[in-house]
Amino acid sequence: MPKMTFIEKNGAPREVEAPLGLSVLEIAHKYDIDIEGACEGSLACSTCHVIVDAAWFPKLAKPTEDEEDMLDLAFGLQETSRLGCQIVMTPALDGLVVKLPASTKNAGG
Amino acid sequence: MRPNRPVYLDNQATTPMDQRVLAAMLPWFTERFGNPHSAEHGMGLEAEAAVETARGEIAALIGAEAREIVLTSGATESNNIAIKGAARFALQAGRERRRLITVATEHKCVLESVADMAAEGFEPVVLPVRPDGRLDPAVLADALAVPTLLVSVMAVNNETGVIQDIPALAALARAHGALFHTDAAQAAGKIPIDVAGIDLLSLSGHKLYGPKGVGALYVRRRPRVRLAPLFSGGGQERGLRAGTLATPLIVGFGEACRLARAEMAADEARIAGLRQRLLDGLAVPVTINGSVQDRVAGNLNLTFEAPALTMLRAMPDLCVSTGSACSSAAIEPSYVLRALGLDNGAAQRTLRIGLGRFTSPADVDFAAKALSEAARVAVTATAGAEF
Repeated sequence: MPKMTFIEKNGAPREVEAPLGLSVLEIAHKYDIDIEGACEGSLACSTCHVIVDAAWFPKLAKPTEDEEDMLDLAFGLQETSRLGCQIVMTPALDGLVVKLPASTKNAGG
Repeated sequence: MRPNRPVYLDNQATTPMDQRVLAAMLPWFTERFGNPHSAEHGMGLEAEAAVETARGEIAALIGAEAREIVLTSGATESNNIAIKGAARFALQAGRERRRLITVATEHKCVLESVADMAAEGFEPVVLPVRPDGRLDPAVLADALAVPTLLVSVMAVNNETGVIQDIPALAALARAHGALFHTDAAQAAGKIPIDVAGIDLLSLSGHKLYGPKGVGALYVRRRPRVRLAPLFSGGGQERGLRAGTLATPLIVGFGEACRLARAEMAADEARIAGLRQRLLDGLAVPVTINGSVQDRVAGNLNLTFEAPALTMLRAMPDLCVSTGSACSSAAIEPSYVLRALGLDNGAAQRTLRIGLGRFTSPADVDFAAKALSEAARVAVTATAGAEF
């Protein structure tokens, strides 16, 4: 099974198994990694904001306009910011590394 | 013979509001006063719909999408949001580029915004222009050799009316990975504008026969341009510009943009004819500053043989100016003219003349006569004072 790594807020890496077809948000929830996902992946908040490792960022499918709109409202946005609910695990993403931001903001209110 | 009221040839300082714009605005001050952010009742919703229609008209004038338009209080605010917002966002997003490039003839609010960012760790670079007022693309290319965050070049200069080659300069900036911003306050409604290749573009209502106190910033969505807002607040305007929208002003700005789109070509052709008529009517020697070819139809920037301030005193019924209204609190010579290579003496003998939509043949005939007489009187007075 593919794997992926979350860098936690304290900087500690945590490698987990990443089933194909699950989103980064779903994978995080499976392993109790601290990503909120207040809208449960419906692109209505920005609480699953993750910062993708720079080497991995270009390998992801480009964000949709809706995702960009939510990212506009995310706190502490970085060059390689994405929403975890929109990154779906594929064989090509085996080894993906994402970092959790210092804090998030629920743009859905 | 004195005219019934002053002849106004300072349309680059501000334009009179078109009566059609005023008519469109009036209901939104009184009976249709709803808050466009009140989504719970009809009056709020109708104000919101009016704002969105206006946003569409503003966008259409520059070839943008309505949702790429952020409404502001004017071009000064738009320029501040664009420059400081882009710089601060890049800093917080961990980008390493620190260079901010602009041009010596920019509006003060652009020069000052860029200069202010030095205190936050950025590197302002102010490029010179050629004697015709245009930025040499090769000079920009040299400056872009250092990785650059943002380039800001105005589309049309507010003192000389000189048009920069924005498509070429924007392409150069993009090729070097820099954002490109243009202050198009003096260009909108005068020359066709298309945001293709441009990341950020500032507009002003009162330069195109709309109301004062309203403007817009175009912010590209694809690829997304991100900015840090200057104001904290309720998240209006995509979080970029908090505050209740000024419905009447925005409706007026939208109507002004609609009229500009419909009438720009005819206006500019007529204004170009009037400008020639004014030049032909001048009976004293003048030098035209800045490119004649790459220039909006309504502008003349003329150096006379007499001091401009003396001339202005001799023609109280003609409204022209010595430079931009924005710097008029200072009596120092125009930095724009100095950048074109004029010495202080020549700059002090220079007047900006701005024709517009409501300028008549009679106005320019009056102006030609008044300018010629004032120049003669002022030359004589100055010569007398020297002996």
